[in-house]
Parts: sequence; structure tokens; C-alpha cells
Amino acid sequence: METDWSKVMEVFATGIIGVFVVMILLQILTQLSTRIIDFVENFGKGEESSPEPKSPTAPSKD
Amino acid sequence: MLDILKDLIYSSGAVSLTGGNLVMWLVSFVLLYLAIKKQYEPLLLLPIAFGILIVNLPLTFLMEPEHGLVWFFYHYGIELDIIPPLIFLGLGAMIDFGPLIANPKTLLLGAGAQAGLYVTFFAAVLFGFDLQEAASIAIIGGADGPTTIFLTSKLAPHLLGATAVSAYAYMALVPIIQPPMMKLLTTEHERKIVMGKLRPVSKLQRVCFPIVTAMAIMLMVPTAAPLISMLMLGNLFKESGVVERLSKAASNELMNIVTIFLGLSVGATMTAGTFLSPKVLFIFFLGLFAFIVSTGAGLIMAKIMNLFLKNKINPLIGAAGVSAVPMAARCVHKVGSEANRRNYLLMHAMGPNVAGVIGTVVAAAILLKNLG
Amino acid sequence: MPELLAPIAGNVWKVLIAVGDKVELDDELIILEALKMETPIYCDDGGTVSEVRVKEGDSVNEGDVLVIID
Repeated sequence: METDWSKVMEVFATGIIGVFVVMILLQILTQLSTRIIDFVENFGKGEESSPEPKSPTAPSKD
Repeated sequence: MLDILKDLIYSSGAVSLTGGNLVMWLVSFVLLYLAIKKQYEPLLLLPIAFGILIVNLPLTFLMEPEHGLVWFFYHYGIELDIIPPLIFLGLGAMIDFGPLIANPKTLLLGAGAQAGLYVTFFAAVLFGFDLQEAASIAIIGGADGPTTIFLTSKLAPHLLGATAVSAYAYMALVPIIQPPMMKLLTTEHERKIVMGKLRPVSKLQRVCFPIVTAMAIMLMVPTAAPLISMLMLGNLFKESGVVERLSKAASNELMNIVTIFLGLSVGATMTAGTFLSPKVLFIFFLGLFAFIVSTGAGLIMAKIMNLFLKNKINPLIGAAGVSAVPMAARCVHKVGSEANRRNYLLMHAMGPNVAGVIGTVVAAAILLKNLG
Repeated sequence: MPELLAPIAGNVWKVLIAVGDKVELDDELIILEALKMETPIYCDDGGTVSEVRVKEGDSVNEGDVLVIID
């Protein structure tokens, strides 16, 4: 059985590059969605924040 | 009278026993010992070991295609790729992606450890395995049982028993295999690096993560779909907080049920004929090599990242990029606290650890796409 | 008045000290359990324990106050 070395190299290279590309894209997406969600949540809080701190934080203080 | 007795003896399994069967009994007993006495991954090794024992009792035909009981488990569960994704569903319902979301850079560490897997692929080809076999052996380095079984059953089903057993066995041996590599590749000073508190992750982020990840990965590597879709569905069950019953069912009952069938069927593939060949020894050797190289690759990746980062990470957490959850993370924590007793790396290591699960699935999917 | 904070989330496995105990730097004060692993928490500063905020079996979050030392 002959080993097809060009195929080996292809699998090797596409594999390593592929995994990194996918994971980097995933990282960017995660960071992006985190930013967006942070922004949305802060925006939401910004409007509610004035009445909010009084009641919920009071019991947790001692 | 004597004839009847003779007939009984000849129709019994005992006379059809081969030397190979006896060796397999021994293998089974060793695994039973490891599972029961040493408690190495007993949930899997126990059914696997018993599976090996029962298929090496001749004339039972338990693995006879279209007839045997265990063959049906194997055929429907593993050949048709049903069990590994179901295990992933349960895993998803147990995994906390929080540390990963808090520090998305750790995704790169999950990718880094997979580089070791391709080195092993190369090495296995050099040892004379064909490409499909080499890929199945390399994936052991991902330290992820279901993914190993998923890939092997598609590329090289005759190696299933060996790759699955070595994946689970080495996973249990993480605390022994990893620390020497960690100490070799990092300096005392690096191991002492303390990492700051993880940023808090809101519920919305936790809910969005599985959805975004599932979409992104399946769009990029569709062959990862069976595993990643189930993993993320399980995680969505957990994080949504509205289907606690489903989340519990997936991570307890369903997971336990399929684990029984998985272990038994994997063990049952290991008949004397398929298992007792020099190849299998090489598989165990290469599997160990895969584990070590992947650990090293993760560590090196972490050190490379440190060259660019302002807030240095502790390079030890790179070793958690192999997916053995949570053994690898525990191991990192332990080695880290040996260097500096005020170093609590556990949660930081969980990031690359769960990223490793995703990374291994992606790596397996790419191998499958190229070689399937 | 230094506070001993939980460095990781987990369950309190063992409380090794009581109010009034004298503790020194690097004494083991509390053992937390996280991911089935015992993690000892060491004292950052010598002094006398004035308050223990947790008991065995409690679950704590990262950053929670465990012990107060005078």
C-alpha cells in the first residue's frame, strides 16, 4: 500500500489551519456578541437604574 | 448416554475457545480491575470490560450481524451514530461555558491543543497506518471519548475498541500524563502567574452563546453538525433555565442509559480476531503520544499568546486545551497551586477545557470531511 | 480588618478555624470543594479570627467573604 503523501500534507495543513480559523472566528463572534449584549443590557439599565438601586440592594447590605 | 454427554461437550463453547479468547479474558479482567478497584472511568470501563468478556465466549453469537443482542446495540447506537451525539446532549447540559464566555481568548488555547492531534496524525502515517486509521488514532489526543468513537466508527470501525479504550484510559490518567509535560515546558516563574478575577457573565450571554456557536460552527463545518448541535442544545436546555426537566433528563437519565449501551457495544467490538494484532499496541502507544503532544501544543500556544498579551495568562491553562473535562482543568489547578499556593487556576482552566471540547469536535469534523 | 475572600466558586468542605483563633500567614483556614476537588484557602495575614461567615456545606461564589481577621 502506497502512502499518498500529498494527501497527508493536505489533511495536515487544512486541519491545523481549519481548526484555528474556526476557533478564531468563534472567538471574534463571542467577543462581538458579548459586547452587543453588554451594550444592550447597560442601555436597558441606564433607563431603569434610577429607581432600581434602592429596593433590591437594600436587603443585601448588612 | 456417553454420546449425549459427548454431544453436550462438543456443542458447548468451551471446546471452541481459542488462545486469543483467553488473552481477551485477561484484558477484560485487567480493565475490570482498573474500573472497580482503581476507579479509572468506571462508568465506561466497566461496561466495556464486560462487553469484551462476553464476546469472547464462543458460540454465543452476541455480535452476530442481524441476530446478536449486542450487535443491535452496536448497529443502532454506534454504526448509525446515535449514541455519541446523545452523550454530547448530556454533556452540553452539564458544561458551564461561563469561563469561556468571560475570557474568549481561551478558545485559541482549545485550538492550540488540537495542533498536537495533527502531529500525531502525521506520526501514525509514518508508522504505516492508512490515513483513515491515522486520523482515528490522532483524535485520541483530543481526549474526548464520544468524539473519538464518532470519528473512528466512520473512518476505521475495526479500530473502534482500541481507540475508545485508549481515549478513556488516558483520560483517567491525565493527572499522571500531564504534569511532567507542564513542568517541562513552563518555567517556575510562569507557573506562578496569578490570573485576575473572571469578569461576570450575564444570563443573556450564557443563553446566546450556544445559539451563536451552533450556528457559526455548523455553517463553517457542516460535518460537525451531529455533535455540535446536540452539545449546544443540551447547553441551551441548561442555560435557558426554563426546561430544567429536559436538562436533567439529558444529563442524568438519558446520559446514563446511553452510556450503558455505548460501553457494552464498544467492548463487544473487541473480539480476539480484531484486537490481538500488533497494530493495537501501536495504537495505545500513539494514543499516549497524542495526549502528550496535544498537552504540549496547548502549553506552547499559551506561551505564544503571552508574547502578545498585556495581561499575561498562566501558560499552564493551555494544557487544559485537551478536552478531558474537568480532569485537565483540575490538573492545571493542582500544578499551579504547587508553584504558588495562592494560585487558583481552576476556573481559568475551565475556559480552555470547554473550548477544547469544541476544538476537538471541529478537528474531528475537518478530518471527516477530508477523509470520509 | 482584612477579609478572606473565596478565590473560586464552590462548596465549603471544611472550616478549620473558629472565632477567636489566632492565625498566621499561610495557615489553612478553609477548604473549599469545587469540581470534586478540595482546594485549601490560605491565610493572607496574621491575626485573630473575628468572624466566620460560612459553615460547612455552604455554597460560595467567587469573591464572597469567608472569614474576617482582625
